[in-house]
Amino acid sequence: MRAWVAVALLACAGCAPVAPYQRAYLARPDMALDASPGMMRAMERTFSAKEAANGGSSVGGGGCGCN
Amino acid sequence: MALHGFNFRAMAAEHELQLHCEDAGLARAAAVRAMEEVARIEAKYSRYRPETLVSRINAAAGGDFVAIDAETEGLLDYADASWRQSAGLFDATSGVLRRAWRFDVERVPTEAELAPLLALIGWDRVERSPGRVRLASPGMELDFGGFGKEYAVDRAALALREGGIGSAVVSLAGDVVVLGPQPDGAPWRVGIRHPRREGAVVATLPIASGALATSGDYERFIEVDGERHCHILDPRTGRSARGFQSVSVLAPTCLVAGSATTIAMLKGRDAGLAWLRGLGLDHLCVLDDGSVVSSFARG
Amino acid sequence: MHSGSEAPGSLHALSRAALALPILAIPVEAGAAEIGEMGFTILGYKERGLMKVVEPVLWGKARIGETWEVQANVALDIVSGASPEGVSNISGTPVQLVSAASVTDRRYLGDVRVSRRMGELTLGISRSFSEENDYRSHAYGIEARWDLNERNTTLAFGYGQSADSIGSTLEPTLDERRDTREYLFGVTQVLSRFDLVQSTVTVARGRGWFNDPYKFTRTFYPDGAPAFLFDLRPSSRDSFAWLTRYRRHVPGADGTLQAEYRYYSDDWDVRAHTLEVAWQQSLGERWAVRPALRYHTQGAARFYSPVVPRPAPAELSSDPRLAAFGGISTSVRGILKLDGGLLIELTVGNVHNTRDFRAGGNGSPTYPTLQAWYGILGISRPF
Repeated sequence: MRAWVAVALLACAGCAPVAPYQRAYLARPDMALDASPGMMRAMERTFSAKEAANGGSSVGGGGCGCN
Repeated sequence: MALHGFNFRAMAAEHELQLHCEDAGLARAAAVRAMEEVARIEAKYSRYRPETLVSRINAAAGGDFVAIDAETEGLLDYADASWRQSAGLFDATSGVLRRAWRFDVERVPTEAELAPLLALIGWDRVERSPGRVRLASPGMELDFGGFGKEYAVDRAALALREGGIGSAVVSLAGDVVVLGPQPDGAPWRVGIRHPRREGAVVATLPIASGALATSGDYERFIEVDGERHCHILDPRTGRSARGFQSVSVLAPTCLVAGSATTIAMLKGRDAGLAWLRGLGLDHLCVLDDGSVVSSFARG
Repeated sequence: MHSGSEAPGSLHALSRAALALPILAIPVEAGAAEIGEMGFTILGYKERGLMKVVEPVLWGKARIGETWEVQANVALDIVSGASPEGVSNISGTPVQLVSAASVTDRRYLGDVRVSRRMGELTLGISRSFSEENDYRSHAYGIEARWDLNERNTTLAFGYGQSADSIGSTLEPTLDERRDTREYLFGVTQVLSRFDLVQSTVTVARGRGWFNDPYKFTRTFYPDGAPAFLFDLRPSSRDSFAWLTRYRRHVPGADGTLQAEYRYYSDDWDVRAHTLEVAWQQSLGERWAVRPALRYHTQGAARFYSPVVPRPAPAELSSDPRLAAFGGISTSVRGILKLDGGLLIELTVGNVHNTRDFRAGGNGSPTYPTLQAWYGILGISRPF
């Protein structure tokens, strides 16, 4: 499964690239991959204290002493 | 010194003067001189009123020479210099493209619609001799829109200076001249309009003096199939400029700043950035993907 | 200002023509451009019968000059109300014990990130900290992003290191350490004019103290003395997380699909899948609404048990966080754009975790069902 996705991504790298002036939709705020820093912190706080699976999007974020 | 502000409307847009002066009467007199100068230039070079100088020149296209005064001659010399320095990208005869590009309809003109208009464009077909000008073919048009507003701001600034004002900001729909810093020496904070977010700024520049012009793809545009087409059109192809959402340049005159921004927008992203760097003028550009390139460094 | 190359002649020619007209040449004098955005977010979270969290966050990001970008945020995390202490089967089946006293814990958090763009490469470093009376964490991170293919493809590489100090208000002499290293590799790929995808893999290796000093397990047996064990976890944790995000704009509907899937696995034998799907629907120029659904399922850690077996093992934790369960969270966000670029976002959501929601069944039988509501208010503006 993982290998398939990796291949799919590399294959797409050869797809017709989208030129900068065609990025009107991609530049929309709702197309951003990260939410605002405040929102990301709030969402992480809501779930990370109750689940065992944390992280995956960034490094160097430090630990949480939430009990 | 007190801060005096004046708002007025001209050239179908809102404008603003802010100036520091001890005497309210003096401030008002200088502001009125500046506003009258803007109105005069609008009246003289407007395309829309049939009796103006420009309309008469356009009506005589393909016919007789029209006599022009020293100010108009100077502006045509400036348009000529811009045409030469931009290798033909800045062309004051490109206004005819307006007939194909209707920005109130979401439709891109076809090659067939553009071709006859492109045949009417060419600054090298503007015939000039001292005190006279003629457009070679019928249907050709002179359009001062590419530099008329910038000239008006520069003239308004001069009017304020001649009226005894040393610390002022003149803003004509986003083109700004800062005459001098505020009385305590602090710069004026000039916001550059965000190309995508209504009412927001993309950056704030502290300017003590100088002229800042901005060209953007948001002033008049249509969006078709995820692509934006704006009012800055390439005179060689008739198509919209690409590569930038907006370009702002700081120069000693708004005329030069304005030409720099228009030419950069028409050159496209890489050539435009290279052109701005080569000019040696400070600039702030919002690229087509929204990222910002700024040459303004801490002085 | 930069020195000109081919075009100093251009500037000279334009300037000469401009100054032939009756206008002024004004000497140019300006400072650095300020480009940025700042915002305030506040989270309110309330579990039924249990704790309450309020977390205000202040954040800002700014571009300095042509190539630098700085981002910083500070937050205060305030936890109050009853908190779970341990698990006891004195009533017959293991249940979660909740402390009688209502305690308020305050945690201070902050982080700073600085990055520099050099052509197609962007390098960044970050520093973050988290402080409360019984826990401190300091972390560093470095990240490199490489744009390829006309910025259609971006590769990201990251390394992070964090040092945590763990103490306990119940046992003042407790002073333990935990060090974690993280490695990240990600790819962001533009698929078309309408959609893009990002996939990131993070490997983390932690060494040190992982026990929760406030949790215990008490087990009564029909025969023999009851057992009491404090939370005992391994002294290392190696984990793997794979996060994939997808965005697709649908112009016909004036809406955007946002989806996210994370697979997690570690050497405590926890396996988890988290899937979130949201649809952001524009309603005119200013308003948008975003309903979202999040599903989480996880297996238990190998040393998870709500009862102490005999003989007592070397590792055991009854912390429900490490149990097998599933959770469904629904939320709705309202977004309002005002003049001046002011953005207001209000999210209201519900979290419902139970053993029955675990994919494939086999949720931990005594997992205490969690019901919580949360609200997030965010305000931001550019400057």
